[in-house]
Amino acid sequence: MGNQLELKQDTVIREQTQTRTRATFKIRWTPILFLLPSLIVFFVFKYYLIFDAIYISLFNYDIVNPPGNFVGLGNYFEFLKSATFWVAMKNTLIFFVLSVLIVFWVPIAQALFLSQVKRWNAFYRVLYQIPGVLPVVAGVLLWKWMYNPDRGLFNYLLAKIGLGPYGWLNDLHMTKLAIVLPGFFTGGGISVLLYYAAIKSISAELFEAAKIDGCGPWRRMVIIILPNITFVILIQFVGFMSGVLLSFDNIFVMTQGGPADASLVVALMIQRTAFVQSRFGISAALSFFMFIVIAVLTIVQFRLQKEDD
Amino acid sequence: MKKHGGINKPASVLVAATIVAGLLSACGSEKEDNAAGANNAATQTNDAAANANAGTDASTNAAANAGDNAADPVVEITVWDQPSPDDPGKSFIEEQFAKFDADHPNIKVKHVEAWQPDVREKFLTAVAGGEGPDLSSAAFPDMQVYIPKGIAADITDMVNNSPDKDRFIDGAFNLASKDGKIYGIPNDMYTSGLIYNKKLFANAGIAAPPKTWEEFAADAQAVQAKNPGVTGFDILGMDWADWHFEYYVWQAGGDLTEQLPDGTAKLDFTSDAAVKALQYYKDLKWKYKVTQKNVVQDIGENEKDFYSGRSAMIIGTSDSFTNFVGRGMDPADIGFAPFPAGPSGKAPAQVGGSFSMLNPKSSPEQQKAAFEYAMYFMSKDYNDALGQFKVDNGLGVRPFTVLKDFDVTQYIKDVPQDYLDAVNESAKDQHLEYFLKSSLSSYLVKPIQKVLLDQNADPATELKKAQELAQKEVIDKYNADLKSGANK
Repeated sequence: MGNQLELKQDTVIREQTQTRTRATFKIRWTPILFLLPSLIVFFVFKYYLIFDAIYISLFNYDIVNPPGNFVGLGNYFEFLKSATFWVAMKNTLIFFVLSVLIVFWVPIAQALFLSQVKRWNAFYRVLYQIPGVLPVVAGVLLWKWMYNPDRGLFNYLLAKIGLGPYGWLNDLHMTKLAIVLPGFFTGGGISVLLYYAAIKSISAELFEAAKIDGCGPWRRMVIIILPNITFVILIQFVGFMSGVLLSFDNIFVMTQGGPADASLVVALMIQRTAFVQSRFGISAALSFFMFIVIAVLTIVQFRLQKEDD
Repeated sequence: MKKHGGINKPASVLVAATIVAGLLSACGSEKEDNAAGANNAATQTNDAAANANAGTDASTNAAANAGDNAADPVVEITVWDQPSPDDPGKSFIEEQFAKFDADHPNIKVKHVEAWQPDVREKFLTAVAGGEGPDLSSAAFPDMQVYIPKGIAADITDMVNNSPDKDRFIDGAFNLASKDGKIYGIPNDMYTSGLIYNKKLFANAGIAAPPKTWEEFAADAQAVQAKNPGVTGFDILGMDWADWHFEYYVWQAGGDLTEQLPDGTAKLDFTSDAAVKALQYYKDLKWKYKVTQKNVVQDIGENEKDFYSGRSAMIIGTSDSFTNFVGRGMDPADIGFAPFPAGPSGKAPAQVGGSFSMLNPKSSPEQQKAAFEYAMYFMSKDYNDALGQFKVDNGLGVRPFTVLKDFDVTQYIKDVPQDYLDAVNESAKDQHLEYFLKSSLSSYLVKPIQKVLLDQNADPATELKKAQELAQKEVIDKYNADLKSGANK
C-alpha cells in the first residue's frame, strides 16, 4: 500500500513536471506579435547602425568605395593617442561635473516645492513644462545673444549694478560655465513630473506618523521623501549622465567647441572628424567608444534597478 | 471563470497581427521603393544587367533601356538644386526647371533641396550611404577634398568634347582640375577683399581705404573714435577663423602649408610670416583695440554688424555688394578695396568659387544627362534671363562671371564703378586657399582664438603648439598614407 502510494505520488509529480516543462516551451505568440513592430524598428534604426559603426571603425573608411583599407583597431589606437581626444574627454567630464552641480538637482527641488503647493498646483506643473516646449536650438541662440559682450543683455544688466563686463563665451575660463548655466534656468521639464509623481506616491500615513513624531519639513524631506524617491533619482541620474556625455547641439550652436577647444567634447569631435575631416573610420571608432561608455552606464542602471527590486 | 478582463485572446492576437502586418507591408512597400532606388544605384554602378534583373520600370531607367535604340530612353537624374522656399528667385528657377523638362523630355530631373546650412554634412552622408546626387555643387575648398577622395567624377572627356568649353574664361576649370584632369564645371567665381563703409570713413575724414597694415589699424582707430558705438573692424574668430587669417599670412609673405614635389605636405605654422600675421591679429585686438569684443562670433554675425552700420570694415568678397544691398544697405556706402599690404608689400586676394560636380557612381547615361543639365544652366540664354529677372526684381547680380559670352555689365549698372575697379584690381594677384585646409582648420583656429582672448598668449608659442599637434595627428598620417598609396 505504502509502495503504491509512493508510486502514485511519483507519477503525479512526474506529470506535473512534464506539464510545467511543456508550459515552459510553449511559444506565446501574442506578446511576440506585440513586441515585433518595436523590435524591428529598434533593430533597424539602433542595432544595425551600432554594428555598422563597429564595422566602419575597423577600416580607413572610403566613402566612395567602401569599406576601404582594413586597419583593425588602428583607428582606436589613433584617437587614443590623440591629444585632442583627451582634451575632449577632459572637457566632457568637466561638463558632466558642472551639469550635476548646476542642473541635475533643479528638477528635484522643483518637484519638492511643487509637492507642497496645494492651490494652483496644475498651473505650476504646466509652468514648469513650458521651457521644455521651446526648441533647444532656439533657446541656445537666445542665450548666445544674451551673452554677447558687445550688446548682450547680461552685461547690460550687470553694468546697472556695477558688475562686469564679462566675456562669457569669449572667456576661456568661463565658457563651460556659460554653456551649462542655461540648464539651471530652463529647469528639468518632464523630470519634474517624474519626481513629483514619485513624491506623490509616498504613503500619506508616513508623513502623518512623522508629523506626530515631531518631524519638521526639512527632516521629513531627509528621512521620508528623499529615501523614497532614490530609485527615480538614480534612474534619472544615469539618463542625465548619458545625455551630458553625448551633449552636442547646445555646444555646437554656442561655440562649436571653441574658443581654443575650451568646449570641445567627444560628440563634437565625432562630428568634426567625420564631416569636416572626412575621416569616417575614426569617427565611427569614437562613436563606438561612446557607445561602450553609455553601455557601462546602462549596466549600472540595471544593477541599481535590481538592487531596488 | 474568465481570469482576465479586457480584449479576449483571439482578438488581441488579431490586433497584434494587424499591427505587424501593417508594419511588414510598410516595410514591403519600402522595400519596393528601395528596389527602385537600388535600380537607380545600380545604374550608378553601370551594371545594366543588374538593372534589367531588378525589373524596374524601363521607361524611367536609362540602363534598362541601354540596348533599346528604337525608343528614346528616359534618364532619371537627381540634382541637389531645389531653391529654398524664401529664395526671391524661386519662381524664376522653377520656371527654368520646367523649361528644361520641356526641352529635354528624355531627362527626368528630381530636384532635391540643398540650401540648408548643414548641406555639406548631408551631402557626405548621402555619398557614404551610396545615395549621392548625380549632380551637385561644391565650393572650391570642398573640391580640394572631394577630388582626391574620388567623390567628384572625372569629366575631362565630356568637357573637352563640349562645344561650351571655350565659352568659359581662361583658367576657369583650373580650380577643379588635378593632374590634368577636370572634375568640376565652374558655376561662379569670387575674389576676396576689404569691405568698408564709405559713410563711416567719411565721418572720420578718411578719403581712401587703407593700403598697409599700419594704415589699416590707424583708420580703424579713427573710424571708431569719430563714430561712437561703431567697431573699426569685425575680425573672424569663430570656426572659419583660419580662412581670413591665411590672407594675413600671405600679406606677410608666406603661407600656412606647402605641398612638396613628391605630394607630401609640410606645415608652415611657425614660419616668420605666420607669426607676424598672428601678432598683427593680437595687436588689432589688444594694442589698437579696433575689433569687436565678441571675437568668436561667426561670419554671419560679422556681416550683420557691417550691414547694420555697427562695424566699419570686414573681410568680404566681390559678391558682398549684392548681399548687403539685399539686406537694405545704401549702395553708395559700400566700398571694396584690395587688402592692405603686409610686411611683404604684397596683398594677394583669395580666389574661390563653386563648381557643379558629377557623381562617379552614376551611369554614363546619367553622367551625360547631368552634364547636359549643368551646361543648360550655364547657357548664355539662361544667364541673360536670370540677369534680367534680377534687375527687374531689384536683386543684385554678381559682378564676376565665368562665362565669356555673358555680358554681366549690362545687369550691374547699379554697382559703383570704383567698386568694380577695386574688384578687378584685387583680382590681379590671386591666391588659392592653403593646402589641406579642411583637415587642418581646427588646429589653426585654436591659436587664433587664444591670442584674441588671452592678452598674455604668445603667437609664436601658440602656433608652435598647433603645428606640433597637427603634425602628429594629421600630417604624419597623411604623408605616410600617401607614400603607402592609401591616399587617393
